[in-house]
Formats: sequence, structure tokens, C-alpha cells
Amino acid sequence: MPALIEARDLTKKYGSFVALDRANFTIQTGRIVGLIGPNGAGKTSALRAILGLTAYEGRLQVLGREPFRDRALLMNDACFIADVAVMPSWIRVDQAIDFVAGVHPRFRRDRALGLLAKTQITGSRRIRELSKGMKTQVHLALTMAIDARLLVLDEPTLGLDILARRGFYDALVDDYMDESRTILITTHQVEEVENLLTDVMFIDKGHIVLDCSVEEIATRYAAVTVTADHIDAARAEKPFYERRTLGKTVLYFEQPRSEALARFGEVHTPSVSDLFVAKLSGGVQ
Amino acid sequence: MNTYAWLIKREFWENRAIWVVPSVIGVLLVLLALFGRGQFITLTTPQQSHVVGQMVLSAFGVTFFVVMSIYSTWYLLDCLYGDRKDRSVLFWKSLPISDTATVLSKLLVALIVIPLVYFVAADVTTLLIAFIVSVRASAALGGALWHADLWLQLQILWLYVIITTAIWFLPVAAWLMVISAWAKRAVMLWTVLPPLALYLGERWIFGTRYVAVALHDRLLGYAPQAFHTGADSSFWITTTFDKDQIITPSSIWALLDPAGFFSSPQTWIGVAVGAALVAGAIQLRLRRTEI
Repeated sequence: MPALIEARDLTKKYGSFVALDRANFTIQTGRIVGLIGPNGAGKTSALRAILGLTAYEGRLQVLGREPFRDRALLMNDACFIADVAVMPSWIRVDQAIDFVAGVHPRFRRDRALGLLAKTQITGSRRIRELSKGMKTQVHLALTMAIDARLLVLDEPTLGLDILARRGFYDALVDDYMDESRTILITTHQVEEVENLLTDVMFIDKGHIVLDCSVEEIATRYAAVTVTADHIDAARAEKPFYERRTLGKTVLYFEQPRSEALARFGEVHTPSVSDLFVAKLSGGVQ
Repeated sequence: MNTYAWLIKREFWENRAIWVVPSVIGVLLVLLALFGRGQFITLTTPQQSHVVGQMVLSAFGVTFFVVMSIYSTWYLLDCLYGDRKDRSVLFWKSLPISDTATVLSKLLVALIVIPLVYFVAADVTTLLIAFIVSVRASAALGGALWHADLWLQLQILWLYVIITTAIWFLPVAAWLMVISAWAKRAVMLWTVLPPLALYLGERWIFGTRYVAVALHDRLLGYAPQAFHTGADSSFWITTTFDKDQIITPSSIWALLDPAGFFSSPQTWIGVAVGAALVAGAIQLRLRRTEI
């Protein structure tokens, strides 16, 4: 089965600034992929390219189409929330539902109404009258009512309180996700999504610096809390990152030999957020 | 409903002024007819009656047409700019609607739909006012407004003007859309600056005035293209009111010059330039999602 998204030498330049520099990655159907990177790393450029919102160099296929050339066709099978608060302020909630139902063949009105029924929002309200969180809820309800094969979420829960955020991610996994769908998500709140991701992609300065499944992290990386007397021996094993907290030193290793590392202290699999910090901080601190 | 129907409906939701403004003008004119005071002239001959009817009835149409032109200009400048400014363009682009459909639907609204709305508003207003004047004023003046042939001619005039202005002003409308799709700010300024720069540049460098003439002909040359404006006596009649003489078209019908309009190279050069600019606006819409 061909990959859902396939990028080869994907490059995006803004004048002399290179936002994406010959990035290569593949995303398979049925995965929940976190695209994680610091500000300005090229996350948004990658998403924009995948969604057909921007021209690019290199080869990019999404659902078998070229996104920039075939955006309208692609949007029959893909949907996205790019950033927050982009619903038009003048539209009424019921108008928005009518419009999307009118132009989108895969929109399920009953589902949108069901999702909105769980909120305080009524159809006669205009978007401009709603709070930031409510706007996001309307947008999410519209988007999640589309039977899309690819859902792209760019900071989807910005502006939502912690209850709504938790509720959103629960709904995403329990009600929305199934093996025919794929979700690509970027967020700064890595801790919040790391339990639901199946794959992670780290991006830094336009390059993909890590692309693997969450299970693979356990075999590819190890973190060792090293006791003081073993520190020099452990450093000889060439950790790629070292962090000191609360009097303890944690060393991060790539392609670890766990039996060897166990001599230095407690070995564990780093969390996605710790690994992100480790990979992107670079070097020993 | 298909996508275009939804896109047009969407424009009515967003720009309520499309129907609110002509409705307000209509109501104001009707109120004026109801409560206004004026000296009513005395009409004695059938020709006088016909001429006054023609002038009064078309005057309302002209009022609506002037307001419509101003509004449509504003609409075109905002239509691809406003949603980039408030970033809702990302919402619209998340739907399976091509940028071509978006641009063409807005062009269609500006050149055909808005004029049709004003046409209906002008017709209803004129009808109400004719009725009110018939009741309030003298039978002769009232009668002047009820010439069946005049009414028919007015309808045809409106439709003719809608079609021919849509064609003639296509390059102007498309230029406004290019600016609307491109500018980061100050759309008005950007609309005027490039043509002005071209005009001044041509004058300084070559000492010629082709740009000025082309712009002048496009902006002010519609009437001579679409109507008989020559001094040919068969089109004009002179009517005497006491001491005054008024020269008016012998009929609205005779004034229209569709053959001249559609056979003029000016018309088709404009269409070609307009089509190129529309294509440019579509390309800009594809590429510029943000301010």
C-alpha cells in the first residue's frame, strides 16, 4: 500500500531563508504523527506544503495527489485546522454548518450537531460573539464531522482550558480515530499528546532530525540516571546529551547497549518531550 | 445546490450591504415621494408627458446605478483582502473549493449579482413612487409615469447596461481583484499607484500619453461605446415646456447600440486584458494565504 504522505527533498524558501531544506519523510495510513520542533523550525511550512497552501520544491505526494496543484480535490479527503481563531468572524454557527454541508461531500451534519450539543454554543450565535475557546470548539466540531482520511491539526487546542483540551484529545482517540484515518498534529504542548502519538517527527532548522515510531524510541534511545562515581565511565560511552537536575545526572544514548549502561545507574526510555529536548539542545550541557 | 450557488449565498451572508444599501435607498426615496413637497409642473401635450415620464423614471435608475458602482468597487477591493487580513482564508482553503471557483464567484457577484439586486430594488422603488405620485399629484403627472412602453424599455435598458458594463469594466474589476489578492495593506493606494506610475513614467521617458488615453477611454468611454451619442437627429427630440426646451432621446430603445458595442475592438481588447488579470488574481489567490 502506498504511503499516505511521501516527501522527497521537500524544500521551501522564503527569499534567502530556507524554511525546509530537502526534507524526506513518509507517513503511513492509520498513524497519529506528532510533528515537533521549536519555533521557526519549519513545522508550519511543512504543514502548509502538505495542505497545498504553498508552492514548494521537491516531490510531495499526499493521498496520491500533488497538494499545491490539486488542493481542492485533496480537501475532499483531507481536512485541517491551521492555527486558531481563523473562523470568519461574521458567520453564524448554523450558516457555517450549512455551508460546509453544502460544499463538502463527506461532511456529516448530525455529527457536527452532536459535537456542538455538548457545548454551550447555539446555532444563531455569530463567531465574533464567541470566546476564543468557543471559536475553537466550533471549528473542531466542523472539522471532526468530516469523514476525512487525513486530519491535520496545527496547535489545535490553543486557547482551550485544560478540561476542554483533555476532552478534545479523548474524543480524537475514542470517537474519531480508526485504522483508516491518519492524524498529523503539531503542538508545543508535547506532554499533552505524547501518550496518543504512534509516531514522532522532530524537525529543526528545516531538517527532519528524527522520524520513528514511539515503540522504536525504546530500542533506539536510552536515558541513564548516572550516580556520581560512574560518571566518567558513562561519559566514555559517548552520550549525545547530558542533563543535570536535582543533583542527578541523566545521560542520553543513541543505539544503546542496555546491559553495558545498566552498570552506571537506572536505565529508562526517555519520554518524547525529554528526547525532544535532548535531540535539539545538542551536545553536553 | 452546487458549489457556486453556495459561494454566492456566502457573499450575501458576509456582505449584507449588498441588499441592505439598495433597500435603504429605496425606502428613503419612497418616503420622499410620500412626504416631500414640490411644485408639480403642468403637462399639456402627450409628448411632454412621455418625456417627463422618461426622465423621472430613469432618474431613479441612475441614482441606484451610481451607488452601486461605488459599492461594487469597495466590494472588489475587499473580497480577496479581508479574509487574508483576518486569516479566515485558512478556513475557506480547508474546504474542497478551488481558488478559481472562489475568484470567479466573487467576480460574478460584483459584475452580475450586485447589479441585479440593484435592478430589482430600483424597479420596486420606481413602481411604488409612480403609484404614490399618481395618488398625490395631478392626474397628468401621474399618467406620465405609467407609459407601458417606457416601463418595458427601462427593463431592457437595465439588462443591457448590466451586461455591457460587466463586459466593459471587466479589466477594471479584475485589476481591483488583483490588488485585493496581492496587497498587504493600503489596497486603495495600490489600486491607484501603478497606473499613475505608468502614466508619469511614460510621460517623462517617452513624452507620450498612451497610458493616459487608454485609462481615460476605459474609465469614461463606456457610454460612447454602448450608446448612440452622436448628433444624428433621428435619435433626439426637442420638447418645449413654456419657455424651456429639453432635448431627450426619442426613445431609450433607439439609444442602445449593441451592434457598435460588440463590434468594437475596444470591447474585446478589454475582455482579453480582463481575462489575463482574472487569471493573475487566481494565481495570487493560490499563493498568498497571508498578509
